[in-house]
Amino acid sequence: MDNQQHFDLPDHTLDELPANEWEDIEIELLIEGLFRAYGYDFRHYLRSSLRRRIRNRMYMDGVQTVTGMLEKVLHEPDYVHKLTNDFSIKVTEMFRDPSFFRAFRERAVPLLDKLPEIRIWHAGCSTGEEVYSMAILLQEQGLLEKARIYATDMSERAIEQAKEGKFPLKRMQTFTKNYLQAGGTKEFSAYYTVERDYAIFDPSLAQHVMFAQHNLATDSTFNEFHVILCRNVMIYFNPELQDRVHRLFHESLTKAGILGLGSMEYLIAPWKQHYEELADGERLFVKKD
Amino acid sequence: MLRAFKFNIRTKIAIGYFLILICLGASIVTVTDRIEALQNEVETITTRDVEVHNLIASIQYDAVSMETAQRGYIITGDESYLDPYDKGKSQWESNYNSLYAYIADNSSTQKQLEEIKLTIQEWISKAAEPTIAMKREGREADIIAFFQNDVGKQRMDSLRSKFDAIGNQEVQATKLHIMDLENKNRILTVGIYLLLLAATIISFMIVSFVSGSIVKTIKQVVETIKEIASSGGNLATRIKVNSKDEIKDLGDATNELLASLEAKSWIQTKVAEVATMTQGINDLQVLARTFLTKVAPMVNASFGVFYIRKGAGDQQRLEKLASYASSGEDAGKSEIRFGEGLAGQCAIEKRIFLINQTKDHAPLISTGLFQMEPRSILIVPVEYEDRLEAVIEFASLESFTTQHLKLMEEVEKDFGIAVNNVAGRMEVERLLSESQVLTEELQMQQEEMRMTTEHLEEQYLVAEQKTKELEKAKEELEDYSEQLEKSSQYKSNFLANMSHELRTPLNSILILSQLLSENENHTLSEDEEGYAKVIHTSGTDLLKLIDDILDLSKIEAGKVILTVDEVNLTEIPELMKLTFNPIAEKRGVGFAIDMAENLPAVWYTDGQRLQQILKNLLSNAFKFTEKGSVRLGFDHTDDGMLAISVTDTGIGIPKDKQKLIFEAFQQVDGKTNRIYGGTGLGLSICNEFVKLLGGSIKLDSTLGEGSCFTVYLPLLSQEMVDIIQMAQMEASAAIEITGTEQPEQTQSSGEEAAEEHVAGCVFAGKKVLLVEDDARNVFALVNALENKKMQVTVAGNGRACMDLLKDNKDFDLVLMDIMMPLMDGYETMREMRKQPELQAMPIIALTAKAMKSDRDKCLEAGASDYISKPLQMDQLYSLMQVWLTKQVGG
Repeated sequence: MDNQQHFDLPDHTLDELPANEWEDIEIELLIEGLFRAYGYDFRHYLRSSLRRRIRNRMYMDGVQTVTGMLEKVLHEPDYVHKLTNDFSIKVTEMFRDPSFFRAFRERAVPLLDKLPEIRIWHAGCSTGEEVYSMAILLQEQGLLEKARIYATDMSERAIEQAKEGKFPLKRMQTFTKNYLQAGGTKEFSAYYTVERDYAIFDPSLAQHVMFAQHNLATDSTFNEFHVILCRNVMIYFNPELQDRVHRLFHESLTKAGILGLGSMEYLIAPWKQHYEELADGERLFVKKD
Repeated sequence: MLRAFKFNIRTKIAIGYFLILICLGASIVTVTDRIEALQNEVETITTRDVEVHNLIASIQYDAVSMETAQRGYIITGDESYLDPYDKGKSQWESNYNSLYAYIADNSSTQKQLEEIKLTIQEWISKAAEPTIAMKREGREADIIAFFQNDVGKQRMDSLRSKFDAIGNQEVQATKLHIMDLENKNRILTVGIYLLLLAATIISFMIVSFVSGSIVKTIKQVVETIKEIASSGGNLATRIKVNSKDEIKDLGDATNELLASLEAKSWIQTKVAEVATMTQGINDLQVLARTFLTKVAPMVNASFGVFYIRKGAGDQQRLEKLASYASSGEDAGKSEIRFGEGLAGQCAIEKRIFLINQTKDHAPLISTGLFQMEPRSILIVPVEYEDRLEAVIEFASLESFTTQHLKLMEEVEKDFGIAVNNVAGRMEVERLLSESQVLTEELQMQQEEMRMTTEHLEEQYLVAEQKTKELEKAKEELEDYSEQLEKSSQYKSNFLANMSHELRTPLNSILILSQLLSENENHTLSEDEEGYAKVIHTSGTDLLKLIDDILDLSKIEAGKVILTVDEVNLTEIPELMKLTFNPIAEKRGVGFAIDMAENLPAVWYTDGQRLQQILKNLLSNAFKFTEKGSVRLGFDHTDDGMLAISVTDTGIGIPKDKQKLIFEAFQQVDGKTNRIYGGTGLGLSICNEFVKLLGGSIKLDSTLGEGSCFTVYLPLLSQEMVDIIQMAQMEASAAIEITGTEQPEQTQSSGEEAAEEHVAGCVFAGKKVLLVEDDARNVFALVNALENKKMQVTVAGNGRACMDLLKDNKDFDLVLMDIMMPLMDGYETMREMRKQPELQAMPIIALTAKAMKSDRDKCLEAGASDYISKPLQMDQLYSLMQVWLTKQVGG
């Protein structure tokens, strides 16, 4: 608790600094610089989030101004990875928001049952916890054999980690609880073996998963999908980018395809009419047209 | 020879004094001898010279007295005057002889003396005798003539002068003697002085030699010591002493002192080196490796292993952290229990072990060319504040010396602190990194929360605008949810309602078809009557089928609730008669009921189920009996069971099919179905019910002669029903677990070693509470878990578990069986979760059947996770590792 308070303090005080105009300009320049120099496109990310991440990095590295950060970004090749890694928020769990997965199992699975093959796009999969969760769910429902999950994230590093399919033991109890709450029909322990401090998930689960790097801000669609999951990703995007991504998803979904969003995300206005809610309170939608 | 003899200082000094004394003695003897010789000479000279002088004087006197007497006689003629003459004449010759003898050494004097003698004899013969004779004869003239020509007087005068000459000569001789003596005396004096001088010189030489030999070595020693003191303590310098005396002893003692000082200073230098080397190391492994690399050459060790203490309490053990010149990972045990072998013993006793001359060793030390056997092994404990931190083992091709031992003792003291420090630092670093990770995660989560909040704020505005829309939607949703609820209720009520829903129309079909078939109004043709009968029979069959399916599914789902009450044994036959007499009559088959004597009037069991069983068996009997009879018999066995038998004279059942017929939808063959109708569910239901009632069913049958089904039922109470139910499910589960687990264990024993290394750390020393009643299960599980070094406590049932937890809540994990007598797993978990201290304890439910409803019940009751029997041990271990790992965050 002490630690938490200790580390909280600077973040908190930074947060209270007025977002003055100069800093805004600097941040714009930094983001522009990232895009022009490296092709990382954060231009449509919410400034509030980016500002906090940048300030946090500045505090950690003792950089005085955002322009100073820009200099580092442009003249220290490795620094850009550090910063972009900061920008990708890697908060994820297996069966995160168990009720979502329960709803998926109960509502979405019957719809998928009839299909001869199922293509799923997990956009913004981070380190892969939810990808494996979905694979487990599909296996329990007897659908994995005909399913193909395309898991993408903008962070190469996260993708590499996700491919390994191993998660720290010290989080596994939470995962187990989530699994049980998500209505798992078997035993969670049947899916993993333990090696040192990690639970290694059955590699057969990953046989139906393709991991790839993909940037929602810049890249286009690459297939037609029956299910698209994009949970807690778009909260960092501004409405413009959100609109772009929703367009992308809408284009990529098959007829009556299913879209899954994070528990605090909503369909933005123009796209709401294209979807029907599949489960109460859970962000599961079916494409109408 | 001399060298070999040890001259100590005392001997040297004694020899010196002795030499000086000898010199003195010799000079005294010489001097005394000389003085004595001198005295003798003086005496000789004195007596001889005096005698010579006397004799000369006597002779002179004799001559003079003879002359005097001659002359007196001549003058007087008196004869008396002749006396001195005669006397002189007789005496002088003897005197002369004596004198002659004295001066025998002096020939010139002897000549003179001989002349004197001749002169005296001449005087006597020529002067004295003739004159005396003349007197006597009176010849005076002759006398006077004679005297005129006095020849005698001449003689006398020459005699006198001769005496004077000899006298002088003698005086001269004496004088010469005296001078000679004086000379000798002088020489003696000089000689004494010379002797004295010689003695002094010799003494001085001896003294200077002795003192020189003593002082020289002392100076040498002093100089070496000064040199050591001045040259900044070059302790390698040694004192060299060539002599073999006390100084050499002193030198040797000093050398020994120097050697010990050098050894001490060596130890101090090395200790300081080790101490400086350990500075700035933040990793135990690096520390251990550096230590071995540094210290092994110091003690001439060719091989070294570093073990660090791990675990606490009873679980303390040593783990290999680093090795020196080891041949791969295989050298040295990777883990040693306390007290295991000498290293383990060293860990307990905390003292250094030194083993020399170890010959029966596998070659341990390897070079590029050889494998060598160590000659000596040194095991050293490293302590900090009386607690063992590490054990270091060295092996050497040479023997370890006491200096090595002392070095290790010294090093060990400081090194314990270093190990403790590094371990502490590592712990701090680990905690720091953990906290950093936590912070990072918290920040991430915070970030997400913030975004969520932002969105919520945004949404709030949108939401406000669309409240109406939402309300509408909400209404719709409510409707929908109501519908959902209803539909789920339908679903759940489906099975329950099916009976009712189907029976109602069936009932009417049955009643009406029966009415039709009776054809009382005779409005139907015979054919139509037949149709109605067929409808009725089909309906009856259908109803039966529905009942059967329901029963069976209920039983299998465990939904049948037994109600134990008094069953009047006399009532049952009556009921059966009522039901089956008509059928018997219709088929033309006899139906008899036998009641044994001494039957109790009432029996405790579920009456309804009993009736169902009997009905099923009887209808079955009647179905397959075309002639002969069906008998229902009541009896009781010796062990207090009720035995009800149904005997028929029907077609019988072949031996190989006798077991099969109790299984659902099985009949003797497909033909039977067609001939006799029925679904084949009857006997399976009977079998299930009988089992539920705690009894058994027995079949005796001969093909073509008939069959006899005997049902054995115990006297039941409600509690016993529960126990029986549980026991049955347990037994089946236990058989499954023992059946599959055992071979797996032997199979995986090889892999276990490798796995142990990884998992062993997590499991070692963990306290596991196993709540399980089945002894076989307990046996298998306890063995498996103890193999992983866990401490297993067993509770036989829920109650025992709760009692146990009253005294001791210190468990890391609970394995909870579900089906147990007295208090089952569900209730136990609920009770446990009521206690605040046990709320966070991981409880793993062991479910007998992998049924979804069972699992939900487990989770509801508070299980953290579940695993179904038969247990897959690998899976159980993985799962246990998850639940034994400390979690991050929540």
